[in-house]
Amino acid sequence: MEIIVCIKPVLDPDMPPAKFSVDSKTNRVIPPEGMPLVINPYDALAVEAALKIKEAKGGKITAVTLAGSFATEILRKAVAMGADEAININDPAFEDSDTFSTAFILAEVVKKIGKYDLVLCGRQAADWDNGVVGSVIAEYLNIPSVIRAKGIVVTNGKLRVERVVANGFEIYEMGLPAVVTLSSEMGQARIPTGWGIINAVKKKIPVWTCSDLGLDPVRVGKTAARNSLVKLYTFSPSRSCEMITGKDDKEAAGKLAEKIMDIKP
Amino acid sequence: MENFDAIVVGAGPAGCAAAYTMAKAGLNVLVLERGKYAGAKNTWGGALFGSAMNEVFPEFWKEAPVERSVSRHAISFLTKDACLSVDYKDSHSDGSSTPGFIILRAKFDQWMAGKVEKAGAIIAAGLEVDDFIREGKAIRGVKVGGEEFPANVVILADGVNSLLAVKAGLRGEFKAKDLKQGVKEVLRLPREVIEDRFNLRGTDGAVMEFVGHCTLGLPGGGFIYTNLDSLSVGVVVQLSALLEKRVKASELLEEFKAHPAVQSLIRGGELLEYSAHLIPVSGISMMPKLFADGIMITGDAAAMVLGTGLILEGANFAVAAGVAAGNAAIRAREKNDYSSAALQSYEQALKDTFVLKDLNTFREAPHFLENERIYNAYPQWACDLMSRIFCSNGKPRKNTFQVVRESMKGRFNIMQLFSDFMRARRAM
Amino acid sequence: MAESKHILVIGEVEREKLTSTSRELLGGARRLAGQMGGMVNLLLMGPAVSAAQEGIQYGADKVYTAQDAIFSEFNSDACTQLTGEICRKIRPMLCLFGQSDLGRDVAPRLAAKLDAGLCMDCVEIIFDAGSNRLLQTRPVFGGKAMAVMATSGDRLQVNTVRAKSIAPEEPKDERKGEVISVTDGVDASLIKVKLVESKRMETEGVKLEDAKIIVAGGGGLGGPEGFEMIGQLAKLMGGVVGATRVPVDENWVPLSMEIGQTGKIVSPDLYIAIGISGAAQHVTGIVNSKKIVAINKDPDANIFRMADVGLVADYKVAVPILIEKLKAGR
Ligand SMILES: Cc1cc2nc3c(=O)[nH]c(=O)nc-3n(C[C@H](O)[C@H](O)[C@H](O)COP(=O)(O)OP(=O)(O)OC[C@H]3O[C@@H](n4cnc5c(N)ncnc54)[C@H](O)[C@@H]3O)c2cc1C
Ligand SMILES: Cc1cc2nc3c(=O)[nH]c(=O)nc-3n(C[C@H](O)[C@H](O)[C@H](O)COP(=O)(O)OP(=O)(O)OC[C@H]3O[C@@H](n4cnc5c(N)ncnc54)[C@H](O)[C@@H]3O)c2cc1C
Ligand SMILES: Nc1ncnc2c1ncn2[C@@H]1O[C@H](COP(=O)(O)O)[C@@H](O)[C@H]1O
Repeated sequence: MEIIVCIKPVLDPDMPPAKFSVDSKTNRVIPPEGMPLVINPYDALAVEAALKIKEAKGGKITAVTLAGSFATEILRKAVAMGADEAININDPAFEDSDTFSTAFILAEVVKKIGKYDLVLCGRQAADWDNGVVGSVIAEYLNIPSVIRAKGIVVTNGKLRVERVVANGFEIYEMGLPAVVTLSSEMGQARIPTGWGIINAVKKKIPVWTCSDLGLDPVRVGKTAARNSLVKLYTFSPSRSCEMITGKDDKEAAGKLAEKIMDIKP
Repeated sequence: MENFDAIVVGAGPAGCAAAYTMAKAGLNVLVLERGKYAGAKNTWGGALFGSAMNEVFPEFWKEAPVERSVSRHAISFLTKDACLSVDYKDSHSDGSSTPGFIILRAKFDQWMAGKVEKAGAIIAAGLEVDDFIREGKAIRGVKVGGEEFPANVVILADGVNSLLAVKAGLRGEFKAKDLKQGVKEVLRLPREVIEDRFNLRGTDGAVMEFVGHCTLGLPGGGFIYTNLDSLSVGVVVQLSALLEKRVKASELLEEFKAHPAVQSLIRGGELLEYSAHLIPVSGISMMPKLFADGIMITGDAAAMVLGTGLILEGANFAVAAGVAAGNAAIRAREKNDYSSAALQSYEQALKDTFVLKDLNTFREAPHFLENERIYNAYPQWACDLMSRIFCSNGKPRKNTFQVVRESMKGRFNIMQLFSDFMRARRAM
Repeated sequence: MAESKHILVIGEVEREKLTSTSRELLGGARRLAGQMGGMVNLLLMGPAVSAAQEGIQYGADKVYTAQDAIFSEFNSDACTQLTGEICRKIRPMLCLFGQSDLGRDVAPRLAAKLDAGLCMDCVEIIFDAGSNRLLQTRPVFGGKAMAVMATSGDRLQVNTVRAKSIAPEEPKDERKGEVISVTDGVDASLIKVKLVESKRMETEGVKLEDAKIIVAGGGGLGGPEGFEMIGQLAKLMGGVVGATRVPVDENWVPLSMEIGQTGKIVSPDLYIAIGISGAAQHVTGIVNSKKIVAINKDPDANIFRMADVGLVADYKVAVPILIEKLKAGR
């Protein structure tokens, strides 16, 4: 099985809201100082899913990311977990690409890699929360896709994917190659071993540019964006909270019960 | 399996300095850090004084993420509602001395780690060393959850809680009386507000120390450091006193923040982070054995902190000691001898630098600082005295000396004062 | 492709009725159509054509019903194909999906096929007559920020809309509309995935999304026993139990109980949060609640910042007292 995993570096989604701020002039997030970007949590699950398949079927895992030169660090996380290869897709022409350009470039990367059975993505990037790129890669490659997967099994050259829906699970079957996006229900991503980390630090990670991929710069980046960002602002819903107190927890809870009876519809 | 020339445990100032020194000399170095990244959980006041860092990374402030350079140093004595301050300003414009630098660790440690990697060492983060590989008495590497990492020499730079130092038999666990608990908040405030409130220009910064009511009279003090667009606000208190009085350092921090003199400085700050950390403060008297076969220990793990009350310095000691350990490892490799006898040069080098010299000079300070009068009676008295001098109550004013004498009455006697003064002279 | 000012709403039907989200979409479409001029079209894929009339009552001018057997269960390939066909026919300016299983899956693929603009999970869509553009607002960064995105040029815009974020119109019996049966079949050779098994957890009684009272528990409950306790409270109050992601990940409760960005979006009259820290990704799913009550033992918990009433206490002490008092009434 040749598996390609798309991973994206994101601001740590667990970062406290107070550290999150936006530059209202440029409509960009001000990266909180001292907090490095992390691998999108769902993409770590995609790497995990790839490793599980590799453990069962053998094969090779290639991690790719399109973000910037700094993204090498994030690719090393995937290598530390066990990915065999990593490619950093990086070119100034790619800056400010929207989800379609991103998917387009990644689809071209997949084509250039050539041999592949499976492309794995996260269900959504925990920054812009789109949940689009995986499906669109599949469209551009004209191959089947299943989103929000919880488990993947390969049998006899066929793929069985269990996916999460609002009120349960569905199992789909399809041929290879295919695109699958992974959801948190799949479990936890493994923690890299020490030697895994050391190997990753030593790994040579090639950079592929726009011209390596033979792409027309006009088809990607800001010029190709289908929607434009007019405004970005922080949103922290807040209400003024009446704190219930009492001489002890018991009394306070009693008062709260009264309060609830008052507001109960 | 690859055998490293040296493994450094901990990517704080001590570990980074050691690793950088060795990597530059061509050693094959592995640094293991338990945080998600270097600096992830590290905390301090903090300002970096002295020249040790500059010797490792010349003119580091031009490149490294420093917040501000220290141009104002204030010490204030607090009672419940009053505050008496000594305020010292130095713009360092004549270049005769290097200023201190106010630094946030998360950023700075990452920068140092980056330098170490560029020099050729491998930094592997997210790995907590929990044991050693041993060959007889000698240490031959470390273990992380069962995984083994062999090396000729191990340098422990894992900070105050070093369980490894205990495991290696270099020391017992530090005792509560030798530790202070530091708790700190980072509060975001707009840059202009900070510069206005603290009377600063450009990237000048202020270091404010507080003694007295902020610790409710327990040995310790409070501090405010101005970062670029945030304040570091915290208290540092004797751990044994906290345990004895059953108070939490976090409660003292709240008390400190609520003091009118402090409140007016931090007002409107938005909480960005909270952290707590121990500091070894008893200096030479608590210092462990510094080396054994295949191992050296440095920085906070070896209690290389100078806490005279007026100053709390650990980072510059950690850096200088890290360099010394690194150099000892380099010499050991030249001779291919990592025995205890060969590593002795580490301790000798420390004796030749300010690290052990300063700690020796101030060896009485920790003892002196246990004196409760410093945190209770003296600040009370000083503020009370000021209040007597400045407040007019309609009655005819008295001669200042008379006021001084009256203000001392019933608080402490001349003999105590004299003896404290003499001890202070010796200690500082 | 958008020469018209028409809007196409992709409707969803459950138990023969339009889902509440579909009704919300029709309401939003109706108001936008009023400003832009143009018609509101509704597409229903599946056997339940009975909902067509309901669609008209809620604001559709034309209802397209596709009854190909393949739509008896959800198939992403078939839906993408058909919505594409209908768009080519009607040439709408805007195509609206719910942020549902269907919308999440089909909207991106449709936009890719039709070279359309796309905004997922919108909470507001307005027509800016001055610039003749649509402006869509969507929560990003787990709900820590909002982004306003503009359509560019006269490209078709495909949006998915978050549940509970726009109001439906009052249904009107007298509204007239046309029901058009879509006869084109689906090209089976283009179907690439096959559903082989479906495991649904049908909820009894009121659904979380529709509940007026929700008692939700978080990681602070410490285990399934905690949920039994707050279950009693919910039952007593005639409410429904919800959860954050932590209890779901820990398998204390089923996935269908998860509330938040990646779970259900709710807007009850009363939301009681117990042992919930108030992470952005959770809070984004409850912001529209009328009243929020929070019980947490940590006075600094973020949930208190967005609650109306708060109690700092261990839930193990507080909840039994609440149960007792509420039982006794006044
Ligand atoms: C509140 C406070 C204020 C202070 N203010 C100042 C000040 O203003 N100026 C000053 O000079 N000093 C100050 N200090 C002291 C200073 O912070 C320390 O002396 C200095 O950080 C010591 O450096 P170090 O490298 O020895 O240890 P640390 O900085 O503690 O670094 C130890 C590193 O080892 C890692 N580690 C620990 N155990 C393991 C393990 N088992 N495996 C792998 N990694 C491990 C840790 O994660 C950490 O990164 C202050 C300290 C505190 C707590
Ligand atoms: C991309 C992404 C998407 C996500 N989507 C969602 C989502 O849709 N929904 C969601 O909920 N989360 C989501 N999360 C997870 C979210 O970030 C938080 O981790 C989660 O909401 C935390 O749940 P919690 O507050 O219940 O648990 P915790 O963070 O474990 O908090 C437990 C709280 O309980 C309190 N507590 C503990 N014991 C007691 C006691 N005895 N009595 C009273 N109080 C007590 C504690 O003080 C604490 O505040 C997402 C995360 C990511 C990264
Ligand atoms: N810039 C990128 N580089 C690599 N993979 C990406 C990138 N952007 C998105 N992806 C992948 O697509 C998934 C969904 O992203 P999105 O559609 O942006 O929410 C992510 O979880 C990644 O797997």
